[in-house]
Amino acid sequence: MLITGIKSRPVYDELTPMATGLSHVAAAQGSGGGVLVRLLGEMTPEQLATTTVLYSTESFTGKNHLADLQAFPVRELLVFPSNTEAVRGLDAFLLTAEMGTRLYLSGSEGFIGTSMQVATSYGMNTDEVLREHAGSFVRRVWCAHCSHYSENVTRRVFRCPGCERDLVVRDHYSRRLAAFQGVKADGEVPGELPDDEELDT
Amino acid sequence: MTAIPRTTDFTADETYTPEGEYRFQNSREAVRRLPFPFPDDEYMYSMNLEPHVAAGTGALRAAFDIDEHYVSECAHRDQMLRDMPGVHYLALPHMMEAQWDMLELIFESYSRDFPEHFTLTKNGNEWRWQNRLLGIDDSFTFGDPATLPLDPMEYSTRQAQGEFVVLEEKDNTLVIGAGMTTQRADYSLQFNLGMNFAEFHGPVPKLDTMGILDRALKFLLRMKPGHPVRRVNWSLTVNPRLETSVETLPDWAPDRAKVTPENAGEMVYLRIELQPLHRLPRSNAIVFPVRTYLVSLAELVAHAPDWAKRLHRALASLDPELVDYKGFHRYHGAAVEWLAKYDDGAPLATGYPWIEDGIQPGPDSVD
Repeated sequence: MLITGIKSRPVYDELTPMATGLSHVAAAQGSGGGVLVRLLGEMTPEQLATTTVLYSTESFTGKNHLADLQAFPVRELLVFPSNTEAVRGLDAFLLTAEMGTRLYLSGSEGFIGTSMQVATSYGMNTDEVLREHAGSFVRRVWCAHCSHYSENVTRRVFRCPGCERDLVVRDHYSRRLAAFQGVKADGEVPGELPDDEELDT
Repeated sequence: MTAIPRTTDFTADETYTPEGEYRFQNSREAVRRLPFPFPDDEYMYSMNLEPHVAAGTGALRAAFDIDEHYVSECAHRDQMLRDMPGVHYLALPHMMEAQWDMLELIFESYSRDFPEHFTLTKNGNEWRWQNRLLGIDDSFTFGDPATLPLDPMEYSTRQAQGEFVVLEEKDNTLVIGAGMTTQRADYSLQFNLGMNFAEFHGPVPKLDTMGILDRALKFLLRMKPGHPVRRVNWSLTVNPRLETSVETLPDWAPDRAKVTPENAGEMVYLRIELQPLHRLPRSNAIVFPVRTYLVSLAELVAHAPDWAKRLHRALASLDPELVDYKGFHRYHGAAVEWLAKYDDGAPLATGYPWIEDGIQPGPDSVD
């Protein structure tokens, strides 16, 4: 569970079957697959038969839960080689989804955040979505100066691939951009960088 | 609120950018009418919300204050919007009703409080707006965006001093739905758009543990149309630069390292924020305006010596965590050292300058 003092960071849930759902879509990435295994195990046969699973095998930590997921008699299991493609797959699914659809998301914060951007664009409310963080604490970071998005950032200070500036990652998260904020680390005096550290929360 | 006609000379030939060489200064009158934000020698956050009623003859006389910098600030806003489209003005699609609310509030306030400069004539929904300071005379249909050259909020706030953030009420909190923020102090509108009250205050230290945030939110949610409230806030900044957004930090942050105890009087500016909040009648949104005033330490000493002494004491005793958060860690010492020369330690009045017996600017040491 991700518990930090970062006020703007979403508070994540624990995935559990939503009884009010008429149709379910569960999307996960990497370690999030393990969370889906637990979720599917808690579902009734009726719920499983109305569940579509989207799974991206892209993983920062190398975890792959595909074999376990294949054991469940779900309506449909769609596998994607990358998180970007899985999010696109979710977009395509929601395009034709009907009222009463419930969404479950699990994986890295960047995956959950970009999936939420898609869900929000279809007007899904927070009471129709559950999110559970899984895996590493890598962050998705938006560069305030060139608007480049960097995935899987692990250090407090890193070089922006978009503008080549050294950025410091602020503990401030935007759901709209699904990213943390990166700003020039040596803004006041060139070369005078703040302390680097692993982003372990 | 009655309008008192007064003669203000508007300084059109002013700039707030390095390209324009920061051609900016305050007249003596402009300094002495400031909403000076230090009621005590020691400063700490407080729930300093009060009813926004007319007070005194200075910045709190009108619902939305304008001063001698009006024309140059509007020109600066236009320049910033052209330089970085999509960065300083943003509105979520469902905010159109609040946009009309904003236009109405600004235009009605200006025309009531400054009839010598602004006239709003209504004939049903057919409105005519005359802004003599900017040479604008437009007619449009209230509620019909097609009759205006720009979004109602962009159109009206391009003709207003200060910035405007519109908060919509949702799930018992306030969410940023739109903003005209060409004068941002180290935050990003693109990033903060859509955040709720707790989220966008996230980076501010101490607020949460002091319980101020919860109380402020509860207070704001009870606001009614026609009963605005206000608070003042402040920071320090280097040079008379209005646009200090996160996006352009690489351009302005190096100036912080150039301040010395010798040049602090000219380089360091007190940035005063007057925030008169209004509940909007149709949309039920709340507008959070930030009217920013810049005054150099040297201008304070010259025109408002008692305020300079007060600022010295408040800065000298400021909580280090606030020094860091407000971003002047690097030159805090230089500013205090420079101001110390002008503080004789004499006791000063307590309270904001616009209340009875509050701290006044003091005798004019120039002339």
